[in-house]
Amino acid sequence: MNRRDFLITGAALSAATLLPGSLFAETTKRKNLKRFPRQLKPEIEGNVKVFRLFVDIHQQELAPGLKTHTLAFNNQVPGPEIRVNRGDRVKVYFKNRTELNHTIHWHGMHVPWRMDGVPYITQMPVMPGQEFVYEFTAEPYGTHFYHCHWGTLLHMQAGMFGSLIVEEPDDPIKKLFPYEREYTLLYSAHDLNFLRNEINAMLERMKERLYLVKNGRFDKERFAVFDSKEELEEAVRNGYQPPYVVNRRAPADLAQPFWFTVNGKSYPSTPTLYIREGESIRVRLINSGTEEHYLHLHGHDFWLVCDDGIPVPQPWQMNTMRLSPGKTLDIIIEGKNRGIWTFHDHDTRRVTNNGLYPGGNLMALVYEDLPEEERRVMPMEGMNNLIPKVALDE
Amino acid sequence: MSKKRTSLCLLIILFTVMLCNTGSAGVTPEILLGARGISSLNLDYSPGGDSETVSDISDTSLLVGFRQKLYNRYRGALVIGFQFPDEGSDLEPILFHQVFLRVEDRTNIFRIGRTRVRSAMIEFPTLRDDDAIYFTDILNPFSSGEDAEDNQYGSIMEATRIFGQRYQLSAYGEHLKEETENISKDFGFNALGLSFQYRVPESQRWNREILNQIGISLNTALTSRPGYSGELDKALKSITFSTVLNIRPDPVHFWDLRHQSIFNLGFSEVKNLSDYSDITRARSISTFTSLRYLYRKLERPALQAALSYGYKAFPDLSNNSSQHQVIANSFYRIGENFDVGLQLRYQKNSGDLKTIIGEHETEVQFAFIYSIEQLWNSQFDDRESLLNLEHGYIP
Ligand SMILES: [Cu+2]
Repeated sequence: MNRRDFLITGAALSAATLLPGSLFAETTKRKNLKRFPRQLKPEIEGNVKVFRLFVDIHQQELAPGLKTHTLAFNNQVPGPEIRVNRGDRVKVYFKNRTELNHTIHWHGMHVPWRMDGVPYITQMPVMPGQEFVYEFTAEPYGTHFYHCHWGTLLHMQAGMFGSLIVEEPDDPIKKLFPYEREYTLLYSAHDLNFLRNEINAMLERMKERLYLVKNGRFDKERFAVFDSKEELEEAVRNGYQPPYVVNRRAPADLAQPFWFTVNGKSYPSTPTLYIREGESIRVRLINSGTEEHYLHLHGHDFWLVCDDGIPVPQPWQMNTMRLSPGKTLDIIIEGKNRGIWTFHDHDTRRVTNNGLYPGGNLMALVYEDLPEEERRVMPMEGMNNLIPKVALDE
Repeated sequence: MSKKRTSLCLLIILFTVMLCNTGSAGVTPEILLGARGISSLNLDYSPGGDSETVSDISDTSLLVGFRQKLYNRYRGALVIGFQFPDEGSDLEPILFHQVFLRVEDRTNIFRIGRTRVRSAMIEFPTLRDDDAIYFTDILNPFSSGEDAEDNQYGSIMEATRIFGQRYQLSAYGEHLKEETENISKDFGFNALGLSFQYRVPESQRWNREILNQIGISLNTALTSRPGYSGELDKALKSITFSTVLNIRPDPVHFWDLRHQSIFNLGFSEVKNLSDYSDITRARSISTFTSLRYLYRKLERPALQAALSYGYKAFPDLSNNSSQHQVIANSFYRIGENFDVGLQLRYQKNSGDLKTIIGEHETEVQFAFIYSIEQLWNSQFDDRESLLNLEHGYIP
């Protein structure tokens, strides 16, 4: 699909909100499963669960017709889901297959501080070709995530994030709201121009730096890395121009995201949440991006059950929640109002693709047991069997 | 409309476009602004008398480019630019040296319009592009020799095919500026050429390969030649070889060597040089070689020094004639994009050349150079970015 067709499709969607229906087809549901993070199978070494992660440069299609280069864990954006039990001994081999530096930070986890993944503070960066082994005990319970902590602004929105779920055999939430199915949703926001230009610039710089490092020619001012703040201050007094001053760097704007993804995809490629009448589903929401999202579910009040992975003392009901950057929220949706319902950011600037509505993090809650006769929107002659893929109310 | 006013309008349009880049559902183009200012104090010493120029602003130029994706894998671009020609040239005060359109995809580039003609294969580290024009470029045989720009800019229609990212084959037809040109003249092709080169993309310079560029080109100017009627016999043919070697591709202390030789096959009947036309038509060999040292501090150029030598010989002439030129220069970066430079140029001519262009000339130039490039509305990647070259091309 070329860009022009894509725009026409977009316009048609917002005007008519009609698409040939296949939401209920088994193949659609099977394909939809691939729109959630894949679980990474651990190798068992004694009482340790061993996971292998690598990072490489990969291409991702955010929406039909729009591809971009990403930094991807195990060739996936988001990275594979790591699921362990509370108290498990966990070992993660992290191999850097790019020409850039990286680390992994375990967000919300109580790891030993040397495993926290903050470059130059808890560890040296994992340099090109290197492998680093992270070891920790899975604590605490709940929905967490991992992400790169090198050049975080760039590397996270380039795709280096993944879910980390710590389970408990006797799950406190399951006791309150018995559920079978659960879904993980990782939100992010991307300034593709910033990504492309910065990764290119960084790749070029790294080619140059690696050569100097290999030859033992590390230069503090050149690499903008100092042993202490006093050392930097001393260098500035002696005429060193830090990279952030205006006479070294053009006043580059901060990244301005114009693509908004759920599990690495934008509408219409976003995942669908399937539910049945009378069923409760658990949805784990992770904001691994830089934008605040005000997520609103149509036709329902859901239960907020965990905040940052921690079960809230008293679950409470709402239909719009604020998901700030770095936050994880768990909700329970009860299937009490059958239909096809949208679930999206109510700051609708983020329901756009490249500035064009609809798009972004728009997705749907679909009752898979919706009776055939209710699937028709307009019983018009010759238009039966047409259902809205997504109902747009704005 | 005078050319000055046209360029003013151009600027107004540019800034209007920059301010109005939101709104309509149309595709917003990428907008590139390039500007280069050179202003130098020139001190000339020649047998005919010394002279000085307080501020030589020639080669100062402004370029505006627009670029967008087309409906398929191609991108389309428009470039408009003007520059200030050399002091004392008989050209208009402002020369629109770049006005062309380009359509390209991953492996094909088509260009049509006015731009730099294919008279040289590589660039050399001289203060101005025409400082060594007798050695670095195939001289335009249709020119009066008054304006160096005649050799550099003309109309061109060109197709380039790229093989394996680094090999480029180009075929082009040109209309080089003609001395006798006036309103009713023919603006058809008066030069044709082919070139083939291997070059390492700029983004991969820190792969530290020794061979940076090597190329060959064949150029023919469709001249008239008294006594000959066959198109091939009448045409003035030149063969050019070029190479750029990174002799020390070090990120801090970088050294490279550039060389280009132009073999002008010439007309055997030209035995004496009596005017500029003879210089362009006599059989000749021109070579130009530059050794450049670049010191890079904080991952940016900080100091550059270059020594270049040019030699041109006319082997068929009855009166042995040759040209020598030495250029030594150094540029020191006093801020991002801003350099101060000092250049010494010495040229010696012998034989018939003495009467046409003088016996020798020494020039000292002290210059400020400020060059910027700014892109607005960045939307897609360049063919030669590292992501596109090494991690899969995205159209
Ligand atoms: Cu990273």
